[in-house]
Amino acid sequence: MTAIAAATADVVVVGGGIIGCAIVWQLAQRLPRTARIVLIDRGPIAGATSGSCMGHLMVTPDDAQEYAFSHASVQLWRELQDQQGGFDYNPTGALYLADDPADIALFANLQAQFVACGDRAEILDQQQLRELEPGLAHDLPGALFYPGDGVVLPMTACGAMLRAAQTAGPRVDVLPYTPLTSVLREGDRITGVVTPTGPISSPNIVLACGVWTPEVGALAGLPKLPIVPRAGNLAITAHHASPIRTQLLEISYLRFAHGAATVDPTLIGADQGGHAVNMQPQSLGGCLIGSTRQFRGMNRELNHELLHRALLRAARYAPGLLDLPIVRTWVGLRPFSLDKHPLIGPWPLLRGLWIAAGHEGLGISLAPITGQLIAQQMLGLPCSIDHRPYLPARVVA
Amino acid sequence: MSGARVLEAQVGIVGAGPGGMAAALHLARAGITVVLLDEGFRAGGQIYRQLPEGYDAGHRISEPPSHRAGNHLLDAVARERIRIVHGATVWNARPGQIYYEQNNESWLLACEQIVLAPGAYDRCVPFPGWTLPGVITAGAAQVMVRGFAVAPGQRALVCGTGPLLLPTVTALASAGVKVVAALEAAPRSAMWAALRGVIGNGARMREALFYARSLLRRGIRLQWGASVFAADGDGRVQSALIGKLDQQGAPRPETARRIEVDVICAGFGLVPAIELGLLLSCAARYDAPRGGHCLVVDEQQRTSVDSVYAVGEIVGIGGAEVAMAEGRVAGAAIAARLTSVSFDPRLALHARSERRAADAMLRAFQLRPGLFSICKPDTVVCRCEDVTSSQAAAAGELYGRTTRGIKMGCRAGMGPCQARICGLNLHDIFCDGVEPDLPVAQVPVKPVRTATMIDVPRR
Amino acid sequence: MSRDLRMDGVLRPPEITFTFAGQPISARQGETIAMALWVAGQKALRNSSKDGAPRGVLCNMGICYECLVRIEGAPVRACMVLATEGLNVEPGGKS
Ligand SMILES: Cc1cc2nc3c(=O)[nH]c(=O)nc-3n(C[C@H](O)[C@H](O)[C@H](O)COP(=O)(O)OP(=O)(O)OC[C@H]3O[C@@H](n4cnc5c(N)ncnc54)[C@H](O)[C@@H]3O)c2cc1C
Ligand code: FES
Repeated sequence: MTAIAAATADVVVVGGGIIGCAIVWQLAQRLPRTARIVLIDRGPIAGATSGSCMGHLMVTPDDAQEYAFSHASVQLWRELQDQQGGFDYNPTGALYLADDPADIALFANLQAQFVACGDRAEILDQQQLRELEPGLAHDLPGALFYPGDGVVLPMTACGAMLRAAQTAGPRVDVLPYTPLTSVLREGDRITGVVTPTGPISSPNIVLACGVWTPEVGALAGLPKLPIVPRAGNLAITAHHASPIRTQLLEISYLRFAHGAATVDPTLIGADQGGHAVNMQPQSLGGCLIGSTRQFRGMNRELNHELLHRALLRAARYAPGLLDLPIVRTWVGLRPFSLDKHPLIGPWPLLRGLWIAAGHEGLGISLAPITGQLIAQQMLGLPCSIDHRPYLPARVVA
Repeated sequence: MSGARVLEAQVGIVGAGPGGMAAALHLARAGITVVLLDEGFRAGGQIYRQLPEGYDAGHRISEPPSHRAGNHLLDAVARERIRIVHGATVWNARPGQIYYEQNNESWLLACEQIVLAPGAYDRCVPFPGWTLPGVITAGAAQVMVRGFAVAPGQRALVCGTGPLLLPTVTALASAGVKVVAALEAAPRSAMWAALRGVIGNGARMREALFYARSLLRRGIRLQWGASVFAADGDGRVQSALIGKLDQQGAPRPETARRIEVDVICAGFGLVPAIELGLLLSCAARYDAPRGGHCLVVDEQQRTSVDSVYAVGEIVGIGGAEVAMAEGRVAGAAIAARLTSVSFDPRLALHARSERRAADAMLRAFQLRPGLFSICKPDTVVCRCEDVTSSQAAAAGELYGRTTRGIKMGCRAGMGPCQARICGLNLHDIFCDGVEPDLPVAQVPVKPVRTATMIDVPRR
Repeated sequence: MSRDLRMDGVLRPPEITFTFAGQPISARQGETIAMALWVAGQKALRNSSKDGAPRGVLCNMGICYECLVRIEGAPVRACMVLATEGLNVEPGGKS
């Protein structure tokens, strides 16, 4: 569809989701003006998971490493807002909710984790919660408020990153509807990619293909990478029809989303799926409602049963939702990495091949830092956080 | 929350217009139980729209000869006591199951076979000022006159293209509206092409004659190759800029003139309402003359899904006669399946000849590409999301020049109308040379309350 | 309005009254909210979310969602809801 503007490049990024776009953005800030970056995607930009997800920028204080990783990334999102804007950035903070005593007890734990990381979070009583979010059910006992989180619109954020890259200095060519069909190599090094509109020679290619990374990796001769899709059903209300103003999520979300998978994720049909409420205010006043999780391969059909349960739960927290119109529902596929950490860095057995994938339900939050780690490693610069836990070398068994 | 509500019938029909009613009648007479679902308040659909209960306009509202068939159909449906559920917003369907919301309640119609006859809606083409209150579709104007005996304004501009402009003009005139100008975007040659197409189809000839006479009687002249260029006014329409179009259909600025009007009725053809069909996984294909993406059916009106039939506009814009003929075919085909009567192939032959006449007419009124240059960079193209033409263009440039790319880049088409108004325009204005993306079928096909989706009845 | 847009000589059911943005509006039974407001000269039903420009009826048949108003806080299509006695309708858009 688009003619290839650059048949040679310094880096070809494959995949125009949030991860690929963040890599282009971070590379463009560091490469010289004479450099060329090409981004290719087989569909439109943001046409896959990054265009069918929520946009919670989430700081996760599980441990010092995770905190540093997610916190640095959320800071970079703020920079993109200052630099570029145009993606409905809204630093609402996050409200963690619960309605059963066991989960309510978790407020204090999570608060302690934030404090241990040198940050803060506040436990709100019933009255304080009602002042912050008058639309929530009045019987809720309280909530934990963490001020550092925010919300973005991921699909327009992809464009904001690319526009920031295009004005940074190096030449940046964005080629939607240009699939990677094979990888060119000489011995143990990458020399380029092939697309239906022609080859592009390049000493570096970055695979940022989300749930398709194993499939695209196979084109480069890689063994099956340990990333599988994890489906999520979403619903969104009409504009000016949101019962809430803050990013909300059930605290059980942490256990459910970040806990160990209770079934074999690679066995399709084994997972009945589950849900924990995640509700997100949108810039034009709508409300995005998630979130379910189920391993069932690439299937993108709506799971009515799961969505039904998630909506019921959402209405339990925000009863006003019942009367508001739902405009659309859909399914997105999270790229779940089997050891729960994304793969970010060079592929050790093939020089010039880089991987950045497997962010599961946090790819939006973690995209900027992922881009930064790739750029820093590629240019031999010191990394802004410890990059070792994410190196793909760990899966070369 | 309310309890589960389930209706049962052998055949569930979506749309109580000519196609749906004709199918229902055929089925009911064969002893098959049917339920018709319609979002409107009374039967008739858009074309045979009736006044509300308790109204009587005598013969004040102009009725073309074809409406006689509609009245017969309405009477027959009433005589057969066919059950029609009004105010039913269908939001989800699977083979054998149709989900709808009525009066804020969640309902399920369980049925063995489904007939889709949801009709069409007006095609809009964006022009500067078209978001001003007072700019309405040609269909909207007809609803006001025929559905409520209300005049849309005092001085009207009627513009757009296709055979629906004439009934709009006559409806307005019979409601006492002064039609200041009636502009057909197609060149005059389209008239001859259309007439050649309907030669031999008596009903269509009579219809054409009726309109020609009623325009003549009222001294209204239809101008060919002309269009609205812009609407203006302070908070509502007060004037319109109109003028002639060139060979490509682009505006000729030197011919522009301003007219004072308080309402602009614009209708650039019709778009088949195929969303439910897509949700049911029925195969569809793009057919520009027929209005956009249309469902694919066999000679018995069966879609690619065995228990789902489609008739009328969703197979391609064609008008009431086509819809009725195809409705009868679907009714007969289903009756043959469910009872021992056999299918009468003459019905299918008749439907095909009506379809041919309609196709000939439609081909004459295709939108010419120049027409889209009436839309300026700061003209809103997606009304739900307030996206301007230049924003959509920039999105396409970066994200990929398809309706999907544009949608991802600027949200155009993601609002509550679900791209029904902007979808084809995004393609025709920005996506040169590629076939339009098939619209994505998403639940709900029309927005419904969260409670409706939670409260789904089960069997 | 210099002239009533309801056509002369048409038999109609009795009048009812509802409110729009707190103002009383008279309608005939069987009319939608959109129709009654149109006849009352109230063509703007909501404001655009981005630039606040007035918006009103476009399709009049439930397709375009341009006629969104609010009843008890929830957005509904004015062209698809009947006007009823005592109903309180608010403009759509930002509340
Ligand atoms: C329901 C749901 C809710 C979520 N909510 C959040 C949230 O609130 N916060 C958060 O941080 N994260 C969230 N996520 C996670 C986040 O969406 C993902 O982690 C992230 O979008 C992954 O981005 P990606 O770029 O890796 O993948 P993608 O966006 O899928 O991009 C991969 C791209 O690769 C392209 N590609 C594939 N094959 C080829 C080929 N051969 N040639 C060229 N291109 C190819 C694809 O077309 C695609 O565009 C959510 C996810 C889901 C599903
Ligand atoms: S005017 Fe289009 S939905 Fe009411």
